[in-house]
Amino acid sequence: MSVFIQQFLNGMVLGSIYGLVALGLTLVYGILHVPNFAHGAFYMVGAYVSFTLMNAMGVNYWVAMAGAAAVVAVLSVLSERLVFNPLRHAPPIHDKIAAIGILLFLEAGVQAIYGADFHRMPTPYNGAVSFGGIFMQEQRLLIIIGALSLMALLHLFLKRTMVGSTIIAMAQDREGAFLVGIDSNKVAMMTFAIAGALAAVAATLYAPINLVSPAMGHLVIMKAFVIIIVGGMGSIPGAIIGGMIIGFAEALGAFYISTDYKDIIAFALLVVILSIRPEGLFTKGTR
Amino acid sequence: MLQLKNISVAYGEFRALNNIDLHVDQGELVVLLGANGAGKSTIFKAISGLVKPVEGSIQFNSEELAGKKPSYIVERGLVQCPEGRKLFPGMSVRKNLLLGAYVHRRDKEGMQRSLKEVYELFPILEQKADDAAGSLSGGQQQMVAIGRALMSRPKMLLLDEPSLGLAPLVVKQMFEVIQKINEQGTSVLLAEQNAFAALKVADRAYVIESGRIVMQGDRETLMNDERVRKAYIGG
Repeated sequence: MSVFIQQFLNGMVLGSIYGLVALGLTLVYGILHVPNFAHGAFYMVGAYVSFTLMNAMGVNYWVAMAGAAAVVAVLSVLSERLVFNPLRHAPPIHDKIAAIGILLFLEAGVQAIYGADFHRMPTPYNGAVSFGGIFMQEQRLLIIIGALSLMALLHLFLKRTMVGSTIIAMAQDREGAFLVGIDSNKVAMMTFAIAGALAAVAATLYAPINLVSPAMGHLVIMKAFVIIIVGGMGSIPGAIIGGMIIGFAEALGAFYISTDYKDIIAFALLVVILSIRPEGLFTKGTR
Repeated sequence: MLQLKNISVAYGEFRALNNIDLHVDQGELVVLLGANGAGKSTIFKAISGLVKPVEGSIQFNSEELAGKKPSYIVERGLVQCPEGRKLFPGMSVRKNLLLGAYVHRRDKEGMQRSLKEVYELFPILEQKADDAAGSLSGGQQQMVAIGRALMSRPKMLLLDEPSLGLAPLVVKQMFEVIQKINEQGTSVLLAEQNAFAALKVADRAYVIESGRIVMQGDRETLMNDERVRKAYIGG
């Protein structure tokens, strides 16, 4: 039983990170109506910014996280202003190509500066806690608590504040949003900033138990795509619960089947879920 | 109050509007008659800033609005309730209405007052306040759409085919409400195919065909005009 709980907690760690990344992806999808392939690169850049702030400048872990969130938020807004906004009247395929362009640009840029080597990110939380025979690294506990509180905050912002509601309004009916006086530029910039910050925080939380490298965003973003497809494109609860489903499936699959297959499990699950519910788990009606 | 001069709109090669001239004075209820595809909605989209006219001027209270952003135009008090309603289907009725007051978002008291007024106009919406807007019937959704537009406290309301797809009894109620809104001081520009019902409440009307204004006049003139009767009223 304690082994199962251990794996359950591992799944929650993975699910929290995937959920944070997928949330940003799903919010931006509501604005762009195409998946932002560059989102994984924002995640990767977030880890490098934190890494640099801590290693080269010796700042505190939390300050580094905030710094990374700010830098990536600005980067994300810049991509919206300089790339996606000028393309808003172009066919959707142009957005997709541009997003891949940003992804390649950021990866090549990071590789040029830091090289392709793996780096370890330090964390002040190296200890472990135990309760009832279950051991857990502090960093993992931090991931779960941090991610869940961020999700709760985001939820409150989107549901309870007028400014947050504009993001949802724009995703639900673009023209309707314009006609109540919502400024599409402001909403788009705000959404990209939030998505970028979430990706950077997720990366800073996860990197200490993983490694930092230019390709670190690939698998995470692939899984985030699986999550928003499974959860329903643009659905916020879908992104959170979808993240948890993939996280649990991976952790339990790695333990009970084989660690070699853990990355395949997410995609196998995608095939299974889509063959049962092609519209995703949380999509209400058709768009 | 609202004055369109020589407005033309093109969608690529296709010219949807040709040199439209029209005006709505303070307190008037003006009807825009025309069949599907005549260009009524395009006029509305041009006024609200959703499409940019290729030429011409749109003045509202002597301020030029052509080329301005939709949010700016709403802030000036020129508000559209669009065809197809364009509600936020997954949000509650109350949330839809409150978002209608987005331009007054810092005035919480004013928002609550407007909300009360909308509930007085459409009592059913208060009962359905927590339901998702997308789950309501067509007539109720139209009420939400009009209510949402009223929440921004418009000086002029643009109503695009509010009777579309509604049962005759509901259509009748809808026109009563529109008349009431107008009597309370909001100028109204109303696009309709339902000429008979619309002309009954109108001060003046324009008839639009394939992107041009082909006829205009006050209620009696158009009601009694042979061509209007044939084309839109049936008899």
